[in-house]
Amino acid sequence: MNATAIQMDHVAKSFSSKQVLNDVSLSIPAGQTLALLGRNGAGKSTTIRILLGLIPADSGTVRIGGIDPAVNSTKLLSQVGYLAEDQSMYPWMTPMELCRFLAPFYPTWDMALAHDYLERFEIPRSTKISRLSKGQSVKLGLGLALAHRPGIVVLDDPAMGLDPIARKEFNRDLVEHLQVSGATVLYSSHLLDEVEAVADAVAILDCGRIVRTGSTEAIREEVKQILLPMDFAIANQKPDGLLDVRRFDDRLAITTDKAMDYIHKLSANGGRFDVVDLRLDEIFEAFVIGRTQDWPSQSIQGVVSV
Amino acid sequence: MFIRIERGASSPISRQIAEQIRAQCLAGVLKPGRCLPSVRQLAGELAVNVNTIVRVYEKLAAEGLVELRHGEGTFVLPPATSISSGTELKEQRVQFSREFEAHVRRGLLLGLTTTDLRGMLTAAASEAKTMILKQTKSE
Repeated sequence: MNATAIQMDHVAKSFSSKQVLNDVSLSIPAGQTLALLGRNGAGKSTTIRILLGLIPADSGTVRIGGIDPAVNSTKLLSQVGYLAEDQSMYPWMTPMELCRFLAPFYPTWDMALAHDYLERFEIPRSTKISRLSKGQSVKLGLGLALAHRPGIVVLDDPAMGLDPIARKEFNRDLVEHLQVSGATVLYSSHLLDEVEAVADAVAILDCGRIVRTGSTEAIREEVKQILLPMDFAIANQKPDGLLDVRRFDDRLAITTDKAMDYIHKLSANGGRFDVVDLRLDEIFEAFVIGRTQDWPSQSIQGVVSV
Repeated sequence: MFIRIERGASSPISRQIAEQIRAQCLAGVLKPGRCLPSVRQLAGELAVNVNTIVRVYEKLAAEGLVELRHGEGTFVLPPATSISSGTELKEQRVQFSREFEAHVRRGLLLGLTTTDLRGMLTAAASEAKTMILKQTKSE
């Protein structure tokens, strides 16, 4: 079970002159759930589409379940469960018709399981797909993506457009139907509160680069906000993983990665400071829009920047 | 077992779950010998990652609060054996002293004197002692 299910190494991709992915590397051990986090346009969907072989990478290597998607996308798609962001399912079909239509594409399709999902997700079988609610159609997509019992599942922003209760149900389905059966899951999201409960690990994508990966717990352990007096900050060196600096009169609020090292250093230097635990969304914010130019230096001491 | 998770809180989810189970064990809400829900069951109920629940149960077992019996489930241990192991206890005491210090600071900022605080401590301690005594007797 310790094998790597999904592996991306140094993947780059440009659309005409615009570089959308730059040196993206990812690794997901079998049986783990990784959430790909990023703002709109950060490159989440492009990453997922390259993973599935729907578009080719310009450079780098990709393996998903040992298969190179650029070489054998068809084989890959028959083994991986995929829920697209804007799944353009055939709106004129009914869920039952869609099941029968999809079955021949998947050697391992389990019709009884597909029916079971329709039942459990309370999806009407003979209503046209165009008339299903957003929540029902996402759940239908999920059920169909799982009906061939894939060991690897890739979901592109599955919770988008769902109401809070449907999102919670969806998270529960993810835990009960996928994690419990040992599937490897990669999904993209920007609902950070929910990601924390469900994911083993996260990867933060910003402007086409992975800026941080790690288990959700480790990231929260390693990224902290520290409040300290300005003169004490000046007396100490800038932390290695500095992400964000804000000035409040004679105090500084800094957000830093590798916070434990820095805290040990500060303690050793014997000053007074406070450590604040951050939520995942605050950590995400620090990585994506954090600014460090307000770090004080001896020379600009006394200059107030706003 | 009643667990309430605050999503988007600054306390990590595993810590929230562990703290609530720990508190229920120590308060006698979860009686010794009681079987906790299975990992799958609790993960599904709370819609929380399966591995997170596994880690919580393992942590509580390391603290001596529960016992993982292979193939049977996770059981609450009697309080006599639930004295935390050295490092766990030390960690919790450090955490407690930090929280205590913060409370004292807040009290001083609210204008309470050291004497006021001392009085409050004595009253709270004697009340807590009677409560603990009652609980151990009822078991």
